[in-house]
Amino acid sequence: MKTFIALLKKEEMTLFTSPIAYVVMAVFLIVMGYTFTLTLFISHSPTLVHIFFQIYVLFLLIVPIITMRTIAEERRLRTLELLLTAPVTEAKVVFAKFVASMGLVVTLLLISGAYPLTLAFFGAPDWGPIYSGYVGLLLLGCTLVAIGLLTSSLVSNQVIAALLSMSLFLLLWIIDHFGWLLPDPFDAFVVNLSLLVHFTPFATGSVFLSDAGYFISMTLLGLFFCVRALARR
Amino acid sequence: MKQPDIVIADHLVKRYGSRLALRGVSFSIAEGEIIGLLGPNGSGKSTILRILTGYLPPSGGAIRVGGHDAWEHPLEIRRYVGYVPEDAPLYDVMRVGEFLRFMAEIKGVPADGISAAVASVCSKLDLWGVVKVTIGKLSRGYRQRVALAQALLNNPPLLVLDEPTNALDAYQVIGVRELIRGLAGKQTVIVASHVLTEIERLATRVMILRDGELLTADAMAERSEVPRLRLRIAGPLDAVLAMLRETDGVIRANAAAETDQNATGPHDFVAELRHPGVTEDVVRAVVSHGFGLLGLAEEKADLERVFLDLTQRATQAAAA
Repeated sequence: MKTFIALLKKEEMTLFTSPIAYVVMAVFLIVMGYTFTLTLFISHSPTLVHIFFQIYVLFLLIVPIITMRTIAEERRLRTLELLLTAPVTEAKVVFAKFVASMGLVVTLLLISGAYPLTLAFFGAPDWGPIYSGYVGLLLLGCTLVAIGLLTSSLVSNQVIAALLSMSLFLLLWIIDHFGWLLPDPFDAFVVNLSLLVHFTPFATGSVFLSDAGYFISMTLLGLFFCVRALARR
Repeated sequence: MKQPDIVIADHLVKRYGSRLALRGVSFSIAEGEIIGLLGPNGSGKSTILRILTGYLPPSGGAIRVGGHDAWEHPLEIRRYVGYVPEDAPLYDVMRVGEFLRFMAEIKGVPADGISAAVASVCSKLDLWGVVKVTIGKLSRGYRQRVALAQALLNNPPLLVLDEPTNALDAYQVIGVRELIRGLAGKQTVIVASHVLTEIERLATRVMILRDGELLTADAMAERSEVPRLRLRIAGPLDAVLAMLRETDGVIRANAAAETDQNATGPHDFVAELRHPGVTEDVVRAVVSHGFGLLGLAEEKADLERVFLDLTQRATQAAAA
C-alpha cells in the first residue's frame, strides 16, 4: 500500500505540474458554461440531460489528452526503465496511473457540480436522473481512462497515443450504427459495444446493471491489457 | 576462498525482431567482484544489464540472480539489484530530495529509515547542495550522481551501472571510481562501459563483448598468459607473416591492429610466444629470411591490447 501511495503521489504531481491539467479544466469550464447557459435559456427546464451528453462528447476528446503521456512519455524518456527495475509490480504502476488520471476526471465532474446546484437554487430539479447521470459519467470516465492508458502503453509517442485513443473512442461511439447493418447475432454484439448505447440510459435516469457491467468490464479489460503491454515491454 | 556465484547466465539469447542482440552468452559472477563489461557500442552490454535487472526477458537461455530466475521472480531480483540506466533517466519535474524519497519508498526502505537513507546517499555523492533543486535544472554530471544515489538507497547486494561516468568531469569520475572501489567486497558491482581505461582502473575482472558474443569472461587473465613481441619488419606482409607463423615457439602471429596492410613500407606485427626464450629464434628467423628487422619490443599486453586482439580475431573469424 505504501508503494502504491508513493506511485500515486508521483503520478498526481506529474499530472498537476504540467499545463495539460489546467488547459483541460479551462476548456471544460468554458465549453460547459456556454452549453449550460444556452440550454437553460432555451429549454427553461431544470434538467441536465443535455449537459450530460455534452460532457460525454467532451470526455471523448479530453481523456486522450489526459492519458496520452502517462506511459508513452515514461517510455520515451526511459524513466519506465527506472520504475520497472524497482520492486514494484506492473499492475501497481498501471493502477496508480489510472487512479491519478481519474483524479482529474473526478475534478472535472466536481466542477460541473455547480450546474445542478444552480438548478437547485433557482428551481426544483428531479435529482434521480442527475445522480444516475453522474454515475454514468464516472463509469464512462473509468472506461475511457483505461483505454487511454492502454494506447499510451503501446507507443512511445504521446501524440500518436492520443490519436489512437480518440480514434478508438469515436469508433466505440458510433459502432452501433454499423451494428444495425449486420445479421443476427452479430448485430446485437456490435451494438452492445457502443459507448453511447450504454451511456444513454444513465443520462436519462435509468440505471441497468448490464450498462454498468459493460463499463466495468471494458475498464478491467483495458487495465488488464495495459498491464500485459507493460510486462511485455 | 572463492565466493559463491550470485549471477549465473546460461546461454542468454536476445532477439529484437530479426536482429540477434545476444548470441548464447554464458558467464558467472561471484559475490564481491567488480565486473567490467566492455564492448563497442551496440555489442549487447545494455541488453545484458536489462535482462539481469529483470527489465527485459531473454529470448532464450536463463539467468539467475541471487538464486532467483530473473524473469520468473522479477520482484525478488528488483529488490536485490540497484540499477543505473545509461544516460540517467530521471523525473525532471521532481526535486532531488523528493525523487530520492520517492525511490526509497518504492524500493521498500522502511518509513523510519527513509530520511537516513536519503541523507546517507546525499553525503556519499555530495548532493546536499542540490537537494532542493528541480532535477530538470541539474547539469548532466549532477543527474548522473542522482541516478547513482537512487541505486544505492536500499543498499542492494548487486549494483548494475550502465556507463556510470558518462558526462562526469575528471574530479567526478575519480569520485565515482573511489565510491565503486569502496564497495568492493561489500557489494557486487557490474559496470558496463566502452571506455577501456575506466574499466581497467575499476574492475577486478573484465568481460569483453562484441556483436552479442562474449569474447572473454576474464580479459585480465588473458593479458598475463603469454609473452608477446611487437616487431617492425621490412618485407612483404604475407611472407613475413608466414615466416613468423612457421617459427618454432610462436603460438600466433598477426599484423598489428593499427598497421596499414595495403601499404608497401615496413609493417608492425604482434607475435605470441610459448616462452620468452623464443625471442632469439624469431630474430634469427627474420634475419635468415633476409627481412629487415627495424624494431623489436617485448609487449606487455594491457587491456587495450587484449581488447583489440580479441575483437580483431573475432572479425577475422567472422570474415572466414
